[in-house]
Amino acid sequence: MPQPLGSKDASLFRQVVRHYENKQHKKGIKTADQILRKNPKHGDTLAMKALIISNLGQQEEAFAMAKEALRYDMKSHICWHVYGLLYRAEKNYEEAIKAYRFALRIEPESQPIQRDLALLQMQMRDYQGYIQSRTTMLQARPAFRQNWTALAIAHHLAGDLEEAEKVLTTYEETLKSTPPVSDMEHSEATLYKISIMAEAGKLEKALEQLDIVGHRITDVLAVMEMKADYLLRLDRKAEAEAAYTALLDRNPENSMYYDALIRAKGIPDSDHKVLKALYDSWVEKNPRGDAPRRIPLDFLEGEDFKQAADAYLQRMLKKGVPSLFANIKSLYTNTWKRDTVQELVEGYVSVPQTNGSAEGEANGDNKEFLSSSHYFLAQHYNYHLSRNLTKAMEHVDKAIELSPKAVEYQMTKARIWKHYGNLEKAAEEMEKARQLDEKDRYINSKAAKYQLRNNNNDKALENMSKFTRNETVGGAMGDLHEMQCVWYLTEDGEAYLRQKKLGLALKRFHGIYNIFDTWQEDQFDFHSFSLRKGMVRAYVDMVRWEDRLRQHPFYSRAALSAIRAYLLLHDQPDLAHGPLPNGVDGDADSAERKKALKKAKKEQERLEKIEADKRAARKAASTKGGDEVKKEDPDPFGNKLVQTQEPLNEATKFLTPLLELSPKSIEAQNLGFEVYLRRGKYALALKCLSAAHAIDASNPTLHIQLLRFRKALNSLSEPLPPQVAEVVNAEFETLLPKAQNLDEWNESFLSTHKDSALHTQAALTCRQLLKADSKAQCEKDLTATLDSQVESIETALAGLQLLDEWNSDQTAKAAYAEKAKSKWPESSVFQLN
Amino acid sequence: MVDIVPLSSYPSYIDLLPSIQTCNITNLPENYFLKYYLYHALTWPQLSFVAVVRPKNGYSKHTAAGGAATLSEQYPKVVGYVLAKMEEEPTDGVAHGHITSLSVMRTHRRLGIAERLMRMSQRAMAESHRAHYVSLHVRVSNTAALRLYRDTLGFKVETVESKYYADGEDAYAMRMDLTDMWMDWAEIERKDRLRAEKEGKDADEGEEVGELGTEKEKEKMVKVRVGRGLGVGDLVEKNESQTQA
Repeated sequence: MPQPLGSKDASLFRQVVRHYENKQHKKGIKTADQILRKNPKHGDTLAMKALIISNLGQQEEAFAMAKEALRYDMKSHICWHVYGLLYRAEKNYEEAIKAYRFALRIEPESQPIQRDLALLQMQMRDYQGYIQSRTTMLQARPAFRQNWTALAIAHHLAGDLEEAEKVLTTYEETLKSTPPVSDMEHSEATLYKISIMAEAGKLEKALEQLDIVGHRITDVLAVMEMKADYLLRLDRKAEAEAAYTALLDRNPENSMYYDALIRAKGIPDSDHKVLKALYDSWVEKNPRGDAPRRIPLDFLEGEDFKQAADAYLQRMLKKGVPSLFANIKSLYTNTWKRDTVQELVEGYVSVPQTNGSAEGEANGDNKEFLSSSHYFLAQHYNYHLSRNLTKAMEHVDKAIELSPKAVEYQMTKARIWKHYGNLEKAAEEMEKARQLDEKDRYINSKAAKYQLRNNNNDKALENMSKFTRNETVGGAMGDLHEMQCVWYLTEDGEAYLRQKKLGLALKRFHGIYNIFDTWQEDQFDFHSFSLRKGMVRAYVDMVRWEDRLRQHPFYSRAALSAIRAYLLLHDQPDLAHGPLPNGVDGDADSAERKKALKKAKKEQERLEKIEADKRAARKAASTKGGDEVKKEDPDPFGNKLVQTQEPLNEATKFLTPLLELSPKSIEAQNLGFEVYLRRGKYALALKCLSAAHAIDASNPTLHIQLLRFRKALNSLSEPLPPQVAEVVNAEFETLLPKAQNLDEWNESFLSTHKDSALHTQAALTCRQLLKADSKAQCEKDLTATLDSQVESIETALAGLQLLDEWNSDQTAKAAYAEKAKSKWPESSVFQLN
Repeated sequence: MVDIVPLSSYPSYIDLLPSIQTCNITNLPENYFLKYYLYHALTWPQLSFVAVVRPKNGYSKHTAAGGAATLSEQYPKVVGYVLAKMEEEPTDGVAHGHITSLSVMRTHRRLGIAERLMRMSQRAMAESHRAHYVSLHVRVSNTAALRLYRDTLGFKVETVESKYYADGEDAYAMRMDLTDMWMDWAEIERKDRLRAEKEGKDADEGEEVGELGTEKEKEKMVKVRVGRGLGVGDLVEKNESQTQA
């Protein structure tokens, strides 16, 4: 029931609203209380008070109060609107939309409610609802251009490009004269319409429009880019050539422009002479540029390549450009080019540059050339396609001798140690590089990363803390979370995962998960902001980007690691109490194991206590000052996370966006199978197998999984429902037929891929699954892969981990590790503890 | 090889925002929430640029509009960026641009990337927003950056701002005039009027195409004035819903 107030109270109520709008929360509450003293059951006032309290961060109280307000006045649009706003603050958008709809039913003319509803519809991608809302808003205020543009965006995103274009045109036709050039909203709306035409495939029409209005649009570069793009797509070659030439005049450092220019000119890929002449002409125009000098090295061959490479390398080495090798290495897939580059640079360092050392020393340029060349060769011999670590080390040492202060050289030395498989030494050398330039954050970040690769989380954080705001709640780690430093959280989590400290590992991965949630949330304000600013093309691109946000490799990597951690936790629930020493995880009931478990629990408690003390100390220190007290993390070690009773459900949370947005990732499909198999979701597990099979039919992990799936189907504790069984059996039949002799199948896989260590590892695992008594032989065969097939330390390490998975005994592991160690004598990674 | 591309105009590389943020926090002590980058990208889409490593196998198409073919193509490695804006409330009342952040990975220095990024942004400030000048802050100890701004690009030091950075270091406040890169709006409007009149008389007649991208890029230098601090946070206007009585 509407609850009318006396005139004095009514004016007080208007004050409450004003206080709220001006964020004068205390005054607002005071005034509201004044009204409530006389009218304790006044719904609208109570609702406003709830809204203010919610803005002060007291969500629970606010909700209780808003509900009470609704009880008093179910027919008040204010009560419903506030209720919706509270849900929105909690990010429960679906409930918020419902509440707004109630409010709107009571007060259909209310602009604010309509607008709030529209914003949420956009956030929820309810395009049909959004179109409806924007249509209503347009009808209410057709004089505002924003309202037209917004409706066009609604149609555009809903996929109705024709309607979107029509709406924009309708508004344009109401304009009596062309707005001034300075009207950016007009400028952007015009470009927006043209881009919609192009998206609809009407390139001719888009181009026509660009020709008419392009000269008065202030985003000059965008007009040039669009025009060039459309012309080339329409195969209007002469014009496209002119357009790309104009773009290159503006920015000669964009290789896509050259690609396009060559297409427009119709120069065949094979005509190296003409191509080279074209690039040379751009070098002449921009003598300081890189692109036109570098690109020809991709296509030139024989003596031409050698000459061009020689000139390019010498020029860059003289300038001491640190990225030279990074710029060159993509040529190495061509082994002849690789060897030619090596020969050239070896030549630079072997010829005595200026005969006689006395003269040589006087010549500073020459010294720089020489040290740059050694630096180049160090990277060259450190690269996997041209690796010779002994030589790499020799060259880097020479380079360092010539320029002891060069951070890059010292960095490369650390990288060489990494490839030697000695992460401790690598971290040490990177730390030396850091000390050469303590004010540079880049080298600081690198040093921290190398500490993490060496599983030294504390040392890494100590390094990072030299550049973080350590007064943040949670210290340096708190700042890294707040600043959304995804790379560090990922590396930190992975280091904990390697150490089987699952709580902390999960803590970091959830940290990243939450950051992605925040990024998704971030778009909300722009639904209204961008309309006001008029920059609608960028806004539409943003909306579409948000829809594929978790496709970013940052997400995939963290999600894969999180899933691995949860699988480990599911398979070894005792890890919830921290890592157990190696060798005791064999027999579940052994006294030794129980002892170790007890010790791990104690350690966990000890760490918790230390942290609790620290927290208390920080709290005590920060009680004075600062009205805005940020909440301390109640679970800094992830102990709550790791004690989950449903690790597989948690894993699925990370998995779902992965499978949806990165279905082409074979790792995602591999892990998806593991999760679904453990959850007994056979159809979904099979779906992952089929997807993996389509990506790479000979993937080693897939090979093992096919066998495991067959075995799982053969030994179901209760049969699958008939329809599921039918589909699963039919589909799986195409991957691994039921009649197939599995031993033969596996041995044939083995012989097909006998040169690949990873495939051999997989086949040996399968052989054991098929014949448990073959373990001893498998262990021997696995160790034998170190003789020839295994080329990289990573693969060798994977073999050692396999022995863990097989539950092999210490003797077998030691034999493997010893052999690996003798193959890579400098390495430190083959440790058994 | 490194390509210089726009962040959020055409073609849009907005997918790179997280990578740009990572580039920043790897290189510099002044860091921002992703939302602050979004705010730049969506308010002044013409002004920010990214330096990316060309993917090994090149690009399968020229525009990222419909989403590129491969992941390495869609998410190339970011080795540098310039994040720029127009000063929202210029204290001197003069419209001008401001460089919020610029950095290039240490491994990719001496290639002229920073210079190229700056020139692209400056030009867009002049063309799109009629910026009178562009301002920036640089650590007094950062000689390499100072050389770029002063000697290569032509900035002048306006003042020294004491303890500008969180660690207590002073900043040079620098600026550079951009008016010589302005477009002649009056002339454009005059021609448009003429054409409109003409079209009024005889309905057709071929249209004249503007001379895009042909303006000379000259650099001049002038005066100084200061920008704002490197504040993070609620930069996007809060638009809380208002309940009406």
